[in-house]
Amino acid sequence: MKFQIEDVTVYFPYDHIYPEQYAYMVELKRALDARGHCLLEMPTGTGKTIALLSLITSYTLSKPNNPVKLIYCTRTVHEMEKTLAELKLLHAYQTIHIGDRARILAVGLSSRKNLCVNSRVLAAENRDSVDASCRRLTASWVRAAAVANPNLPTCEFFEEYEKAGSNAVLPPGVYTLQDLRAYGKEKGWCPYFLARHMVQFANVVVYSYQYLLDPKVAGHLKGPEGISIKCVRRLRRRFKATDAGRLRAEYNRLVEGLAQRGNLPFTDNWLSNPALPDDILKEAVPGNIRRAEHFLHVLRRLVQYLEGRLETDNVEKEGPVGFVASINTHAGIDQKTLKFCYDRLHSLMLTLEITDTDEFLHIQTICDFATLVGTYTRGFSIIIEPFDERMPHIPDPVLQLSCHDASLAIKPVFDRFQSVVITSGTLSPIDLYPRLLNFHPVVSRSFTMSLTRDCICPMVLTRGSDQLPVSTKFDMRSDLGVVRNYGRLLLEMASVVPDGIVCFFVSYSYMDGIVNSWNENGILKEIMQHKLVFIETQDVVETTLALDNYRKACDCGRGAIFFSVARGKVAEGIDFDRHYGRLVIMFGVPFQYTLSKILLARLEYLRDTFQIKEGDFLTFDALRQAAQCVGRVIRSKADYGMMIFADKRYSRHDKRSKLPGWILSHLRDAHLNLSTDMALHIAREFLRKMAQPYDRAGGSGRKTLLSQEDVEKMGDGILNEMQY
Amino acid sequence: MNNGNGRRLNGETEEDDDDEGSEGDLDAWERTYADERSWESLQEDESGLLRPVDNTTLYHAQYRRRIRSLSSQATTARIQKGLIRYLYIVVDLSRAAAEMDYRPSRMAVVAKHVEAFIREFFDQNPLSQLGLVTIKDGIAHCLTDLGGSPESHVKALMGKLECSGESSLQNALDLVHGYLNQIPSYGHREVLILYSALSTCDPGDILETIQKCKKSKMRCSVIGLSAEIFICKHLCQETGGSYSVAMDESHFKELILEHAPPPPAIAEFAIANLIKMGFPQRAAESSIAICSCHKEAKVGGGYTCPRCKARVCELPTECRICGLTLISSPHLARSYHHLFPIVPFDEVSPSVLNDPHNRLPRSCFGCQQSFPNPGNKPSLRVACPKCKQHFCLDCDIYIHESLHNCPGCESFRHSKSPIATEE
Repeated sequence: MKFQIEDVTVYFPYDHIYPEQYAYMVELKRALDARGHCLLEMPTGTGKTIALLSLITSYTLSKPNNPVKLIYCTRTVHEMEKTLAELKLLHAYQTIHIGDRARILAVGLSSRKNLCVNSRVLAAENRDSVDASCRRLTASWVRAAAVANPNLPTCEFFEEYEKAGSNAVLPPGVYTLQDLRAYGKEKGWCPYFLARHMVQFANVVVYSYQYLLDPKVAGHLKGPEGISIKCVRRLRRRFKATDAGRLRAEYNRLVEGLAQRGNLPFTDNWLSNPALPDDILKEAVPGNIRRAEHFLHVLRRLVQYLEGRLETDNVEKEGPVGFVASINTHAGIDQKTLKFCYDRLHSLMLTLEITDTDEFLHIQTICDFATLVGTYTRGFSIIIEPFDERMPHIPDPVLQLSCHDASLAIKPVFDRFQSVVITSGTLSPIDLYPRLLNFHPVVSRSFTMSLTRDCICPMVLTRGSDQLPVSTKFDMRSDLGVVRNYGRLLLEMASVVPDGIVCFFVSYSYMDGIVNSWNENGILKEIMQHKLVFIETQDVVETTLALDNYRKACDCGRGAIFFSVARGKVAEGIDFDRHYGRLVIMFGVPFQYTLSKILLARLEYLRDTFQIKEGDFLTFDALRQAAQCVGRVIRSKADYGMMIFADKRYSRHDKRSKLPGWILSHLRDAHLNLSTDMALHIAREFLRKMAQPYDRAGGSGRKTLLSQEDVEKMGDGILNEMQY
Repeated sequence: MNNGNGRRLNGETEEDDDDEGSEGDLDAWERTYADERSWESLQEDESGLLRPVDNTTLYHAQYRRRIRSLSSQATTARIQKGLIRYLYIVVDLSRAAAEMDYRPSRMAVVAKHVEAFIREFFDQNPLSQLGLVTIKDGIAHCLTDLGGSPESHVKALMGKLECSGESSLQNALDLVHGYLNQIPSYGHREVLILYSALSTCDPGDILETIQKCKKSKMRCSVIGLSAEIFICKHLCQETGGSYSVAMDESHFKELILEHAPPPPAIAEFAIANLIKMGFPQRAAESSIAICSCHKEAKVGGGYTCPRCKARVCELPTECRICGLTLISSPHLARSYHHLFPIVPFDEVSPSVLNDPHNRLPRSCFGCQQSFPNPGNKPSLRVACPKCKQHFCLDCDIYIHESLHNCPGCESFRHSKSPIATEE
């Protein structure tokens, strides 16, 4: 369908559009007009991706003198493929309507592992070794040597691509990773390098957000990386085998400053890192590490220093400034030297013609660390923990550089792009994000879902059937009554809910404890009569196996329950849609572990810098996690699912109000403060109602699918209705 | 409001854990309160007042929807119907059938309506046969073999009403598949599963069994009693059956009776072929003979097979001696209307009703009762699209569900022929 939003003609590849998609496009268009950033929250399953893609491509078409380049960042490769497939559909539709003018080039970019077509390289097992074996075949010095000695293996795809030179371009179109591989195979060109090359010319680029955020900071943001003594020791041995001759040549290059990097062979250039301040690129490498052996000395001293710091018995916390000062006094390395470690190491590795980069991951980690410590004076802190809190008798020293300020990583992104659109199903409360990320959106909106039927049924359960309150509050969680009430809840629900049930617990240790006591009470055995039970563990392979079997049990009608942990791998990225999740139970409020040193440091920083109260942040974070967990069950409008928040604290207004709008709007007053038997009754009714055949377009009254005429007729009335 | 809820029981057993699972210890007053569920027949109107639920309009709306959905399939093409059906009814008697959300229990409700269904089924499909299978303790039992006598099925079912253990869909399907695979190709193989449980505990891969059923053209339909189950939905989709879940007892009755009229024939299966049938004569009243079906001597009644002269008690059936299908001509005639259904009547729109220029008939063509004043409630009449006669709602239902002839069209045909001869 085709319609007008203000001065833009939007081409939308489907015959019908949801009203919230229309509202979403209007807001997005205004943000683009205002050349500002925006935050848009819309529930999953309402078609955010296609709304966004079709508006932005149509916007470009309507304003040919103001070409927009769209960079779409996703979290997983799977999402990337889905996005590109949608774009393909859209592109085909636009081509039918306006012909050649709609021509665009859209590519997906992923790691070598996903794009490589060389069977020898693909044989490697993980990402880093694929990268390394690719480099072994394509690095410029390897190729130079191969010219002299034809027996050396090279990659024929890369050679072909190089031969084609500037002719190696993709014709306009939309290329998924699959398409790229197929095209590469057909032409004999390396799809990875082709895609990397074409990114500069493409109108739409889809890739992982890791390309955009500085990999160094991002890594520390997600889960602060631990450096343990063992790694450090292994690294030092590596250094000793270096090649003196080549190092000298490199020294000469470095004298002229880092700008020299441009003279290195073009094919080997690294994606420039956006998080480093500009001046670091302009400055020359300080003299004391220009010589490779000096740099190695510096690194050795640094590693020794870190090793010394790790041999402590107490938990230590330090700011970057103090840390750098102490390095300076103890190891004699100044801040500027530290700052250049990252680049210096890269340059060194290029010079040494090291192709097996995966072997050097640890020293790279150290250099990343040094550069970050040297660059930033605030927003980070260094925490040294001599042992794991759960096992205090086993020494396991970990040094962490933890980033408290998410805005540091994303700041360059905001600076570099005209409009940054952050969109998700769970962004509530929407006013906290701009503060945490330190930017000023021109538009921040949350949209509700228009439904033909009430297909989600959130409930807040506060009491067991014996009317005693249930909670995972610290003083109540080990109470036998609470444990039993939770167990009865699950048991009763297992007997009325078909197929799959997903349970989320607040932590691994809590899950272990409660499952153990259910086992002793015999509750677990009773549950097993109705459904099979699967448990998420910290082992990825085991969890994947459990998930597979869970799906199988749901498919064959046996029914299954999956025990999982909020903030775990399952809660983050795995969908339990349709019959894989008819009910999700959130046992407790998933607060972070408040005694964690990192969290405490971060909370302190947030309070001091952004004036965000500790309690507010903790609640925000816990409720966002809870919403994230329960949001796994519903992925489209045709789907249905129930959500039970089992904790008495959810019925308090300050907690509940932080849930996303699309859940709140279905949370009726009658479904608050329930006890187990009442919840059971509601569940039965709901499941019966949902099993009835229904009319997708929405019958009388509420329109949930708009045809072209509807959209043309519609004024602003519907927009106000949709905004939450 | 929740006090009367039947689930309260669980709360009580929990308080005193020692006598767990004893569900019958409600007080008498409590039981009547819980059983009648008087609050469910009330609804709130716009101004917040409580009113009894108006069932008649609801019922009619449901009926119209059903008629429309049926005719939408039928009018697009002349659909061949499977008139000779071989149906197995699978009744789930697992633990879940003892649940008391239907009064007095799911099992009793199912049995009651299966009885009604069996009678209705033979009434509508005189050429068809039916058998009963139950699932209990994870094992499927064949209660009655395929046969044409409603009485024997009902008797067998009522004698076996107790439930326990798990339920197994695969076992039931395997058993039924074994039986249905043997029947001749002109018959339509159907399974109707009345499923109380929410899971199925199977010995092997049920998906393979479903494929096997699909291959042998068994049409499997499921009526669930509590919630939608993926595997049942999958089974119905694969085999071309229908899946529905009952909201309450009356809805369940409606759903099960929907299976009484013959379903459309499966396309690649619907080859026209000739079937040999016998039309036996009714024996004289006073004659004494040993019937071949019960092996008993009986006085009077019964029919004699035209080919081997054996005596059978009831029609339709298959002769025990020579295997000939025995039916009577009224049976054939009664199956006939399925092939030529009367078109659904159109609702007369309120704008036509309010138009003073249109002179509309004052009374229903069927029952001759005058229509109520169309002032307050619009669209209370329907019109036959062929003869344009108007009917009231009751007549509408009667014509479509029992009479299967439009009185307007019939009288039109009769009155037309004399006129033609006069001129």
